[in-house]
Amino acid sequence: MRSKRFEVLDQRPVNQDGYVKEWPEVGLIAMNSPFDPEPSIKIVDGKVVEMDGKKREDFDMLDVFIADYAINLEDAEEAMATDSLQIARMLCDINVTRDEVLKYTLAITPAKLVDVVGNLSVLEAMMGITKMRARKQPANQCHVTNVKDNMVQIAADAAEAAVRGFAEMETTVGIVRYAPFNALAIMVGANVGRPGILTQCAVEEATELDLGMRGYTAYAETVSVYGTEDVFMDGDDTPWSKAFLASCYASRGVKMRFTSGTGSEVQMGMAEGKSMLYLEARCLGVTRGAGVQGTQNGSVSCVGVPAAVPGGIRAIACENLIAGMLDLENASSNDQTFTHSDLRRVARSMPQFIPGTDYICSGYSATPNYDNMFAGSNWDAEDYEDWCTIQRDLRVDAGLQPASEEEVVAARSKAAKAIQAIFAELGLPEITDAEVEAATYANGSKDMPDRNVVEDLKAAEDMLARGVTGVDFVKALYKGGFEDVANSIFQIQKAKVVGDYLHTASMLDSDFHVISAVNSCNDYHGPMTGYQISPERWEKMSNIRKAVDPATL
Amino acid sequence: MDQELLVRQIMQEVLKNMQGAQAAPAGDTVTAADYPLGESMPEKIKSASGKTLDELTLDKVISGELTAADFRITKETLELQAQVADSVGRKTFGMNLRRAGELIPVPDARLLEIYNALRPYRSTKAELYAIGDELINQYGATVTGNFVKEAADVYEKRGRLKKA
Repeated sequence: MRSKRFEVLDQRPVNQDGYVKEWPEVGLIAMNSPFDPEPSIKIVDGKVVEMDGKKREDFDMLDVFIADYAINLEDAEEAMATDSLQIARMLCDINVTRDEVLKYTLAITPAKLVDVVGNLSVLEAMMGITKMRARKQPANQCHVTNVKDNMVQIAADAAEAAVRGFAEMETTVGIVRYAPFNALAIMVGANVGRPGILTQCAVEEATELDLGMRGYTAYAETVSVYGTEDVFMDGDDTPWSKAFLASCYASRGVKMRFTSGTGSEVQMGMAEGKSMLYLEARCLGVTRGAGVQGTQNGSVSCVGVPAAVPGGIRAIACENLIAGMLDLENASSNDQTFTHSDLRRVARSMPQFIPGTDYICSGYSATPNYDNMFAGSNWDAEDYEDWCTIQRDLRVDAGLQPASEEEVVAARSKAAKAIQAIFAELGLPEITDAEVEAATYANGSKDMPDRNVVEDLKAAEDMLARGVTGVDFVKALYKGGFEDVANSIFQIQKAKVVGDYLHTASMLDSDFHVISAVNSCNDYHGPMTGYQISPERWEKMSNIRKAVDPATL
Repeated sequence: MDQELLVRQIMQEVLKNMQGAQAAPAGDTVTAADYPLGESMPEKIKSASGKTLDELTLDKVISGELTAADFRITKETLELQAQVADSVGRKTFGMNLRRAGELIPVPDARLLEIYNALRPYRSTKAELYAIGDELINQYGATVTGNFVKEAADVYEKRGRLKKA
């Protein structure tokens, strides 16, 4: 006979998810694997001749790159000789500053990094993130996509997302040839909502660089690195090709970060019997060695893998922490559907939400789940007011703020009209008034009329062939009567000449002033230090739409 | 032939040093205290076309006086940003910015080709060495050119070169 209790439990969303027991021998283990290497380093004449138990002649490509580029060798022997537990304690000791911790953590090997964080509870890892996050002020990033690649909707959703507080936005495509329009739409829409928002379009590496060179994007993120040589080869890259690509971006004044995360290697069956976190520590070593300012990590699209094994969500917090320990900007994932359970998806985000990271989600879906072309995010537009209410409940600034229907409708309308104007000025296929109105009031692409896709794609290709650049977008917006938006896009092009925003954990405020881990480095060292919510900010965060003024009762 | 190459390399080094001297006179390095450079020293920041930051205005874009070519960063500016990075202990980031500075004169299409050539199994060792020499001799990109040659050596050891 079946227990009625268990019949009910079987129906719960949490039991629709998949789980698996650990299998450390093949790397199906989040962290603390008995098969992870013992930390070690041997340096002769300024060259690493042994690292993590491996002799130089046995180094694979990643070992060579990490040993030669990623470790501060002058401090390495002392740091490696320091007890891992002692370094772990420094991470959550308010009397040890971020700079003092970095002296150790920038000088240790991947195996030592995971050995250190392996001592931490998830709460201690969160304390570590509070201190080691690069930028003082946390922020948030969103995805703006839809299944139709409708650029009017992208512009409107981006404008709304800007009003709601996102500092950075990412689009991608259903059909690759739509990329130029999607990149244009998110840039225009975001800057209608709030001047100074940085935007990107995630596509294949070479195409993404091309869009950046043309001034269609302000930064890039989809530059993946992996923790074993075999998976790197499978991803059709090497540490050297990726480091070269990083320099290509900077040579055109375009900000970029790498992407990696736990679970990708074991998912491909090429984990070399190492834990997910150890392999991620290698990815972060490659990132730092390449001289890239930051990382998008936190398992990212592979979250289903660590989430299926014991301690997987703790391991994700630890990989975000290691990014901070390597002085990297951290856009900390929370960007992929992984569970049927609303309880689990909130719990998964708390280790980043509460301490705050440079970009807590990377990103939060600014559309309903069905329109998210990154296979669905952990958070979407329909959760906007849940996020804001949780911020208000816990008094945590996780980057968003409440918005009224009037504000949102006004921003969406202006963005839709701006993209309509720019299309008209650039001789692109017409955006009708009916489309503008639909985008203004839409929840998702089901509310949008269909466009002539063949005609759009032909025009997008033609726009690239004509050599239309970001400067042409500025002119078209200006001529179309959107002088303020033209100025925003102009200022972003200008930021690429100066390069201030290439630095670690940068963002632009609405006056195009750069805020980064150079002029606003995280200085947390205990209660009432580091980022503090200002009274004005708290007022804004507190006034959620449904809060009633007691005086009116 | 070898001697000609040698002379050309020396010339490039000399020219590079002269250019470098113009950008940042000895002892005149910048630090985090000068950051953001666009606000503290707009007069020192020029675009690749030689325009100062003050000359980059919206009006001039609208009038057609400025084009996309006026919005390119220079090697000198990237060197200053690398110095800012060094001053906050971000040496590897500074190195990336310096490699980037070397790549400024390389045309967009050629950069994309070189990136693709660096992907696994795409090139022979000789092809990668030729790219390294091209970067060094044609563009004065010494650090990056040697970085490409180093990649070739590692790819050879790891069996990641194009099968000849």
